[in-house]
Amino acid sequence: MLSRTLTKRLGRGRLEAPVAREQVLLFRVGDGQYGIGMRGLWEVLSPEGVTGLPTAGYQICTALAYRGRRLPLIRLGELFGVSAERVSPSARVLLVQGNGQPLGLLVDEVQEVVEVEPHRIAPMPAQATELSPSLFRGLVGHGGRVILLIDTDGLGSMTEVKGFAGN
Amino acid sequence: MVTQGQRADGSDNSSKAAQVVLFQVAGRSFAIDLRQVEQIVEYREPTKTPRRPPYVEGVVEHRGRYLALVNLRRRLGVAAPGPAHPAVLLVTGAGPDPVVGIVVDQVFRVLSLPSEGVLSPPPRVFGIRAAFIRGVANTGGRPVVWLDVARLVTTTEPIALLA
Repeated sequence: MLSRTLTKRLGRGRLEAPVAREQVLLFRVGDGQYGIGMRGLWEVLSPEGVTGLPTAGYQICTALAYRGRRLPLIRLGELFGVSAERVSPSARVLLVQGNGQPLGLLVDEVQEVVEVEPHRIAPMPAQATELSPSLFRGLVGHGGRVILLIDTDGLGSMTEVKGFAGN
Repeated sequence: MVTQGQRADGSDNSSKAAQVVLFQVAGRSFAIDLRQVEQIVEYREPTKTPRRPPYVEGVVEHRGRYLALVNLRRRLGVAAPGPAHPAVLLVTGAGPDPVVGIVVDQVFRVLSLPSEGVLSPPPRVFGIRAAFIRGVANTGGRPVVWLDVARLVTTTEPIALLA
């Protein structure tokens, strides 16, 4: 009993290990809030390049002109089934690394950078979406909200993106 | 094959009784195996998920994990909105996720259904195909449909619950 009390007291005096935190960029697609880890983000672009090359409408993966290169661009609104008819002024392209290659993600609005605790990231329930679970890194709570973290490697592995490389 | 009027489990043991949770959706009484119900919680507004099935409302957090929230009204094809404060049954063994939240209008109580009182369903009950039903019973003069919730939430076959 005494030893347990002592352990408890000593335990209180010990320096607690800092909680690992990760910076996440929050963005909006439709009325949903999503996030990606800042480490996988290269650049945030205005979406002018999206219409720079001929693209078929309502495709999930289209072309992005970027510094003389032609990169795959995933319209997340199309992928998530919440696509607006036109690209809004607040829309941005997130240039990320997806499965070893540069990849653009068209989002409706970039919001803020927040810190989350990686150990609190829990898996996306399989029954919550008809999309592949590989597109989601998981879910994490932040400030009373739930953020859906997307997996850029999963996006880069999509058939649509692989097909783009062969164009 | 078990025919209508026989016991749903086909057993001869009349002393067996199943514990079920009795609940209501759109004025009809339904039951679910008590062993599948982990907890009953209050409804909270879910976070919407992309490309969700039409009867899935989104996800809710519960003790550090996230659960898909299935609206049983919608799954049964009821268009009218439900009550302002529905109940949520946290159900195990209903699909690939360990636990799923099932939104129902109201939970009544736990009920003991003697096996001799549970009959195999006719081809359809209240418009629900027998494939989604484990049995039919009577309690207090009202029919109770014992649902196969796992099958209900893992298929997309449309259902139109009769009013």
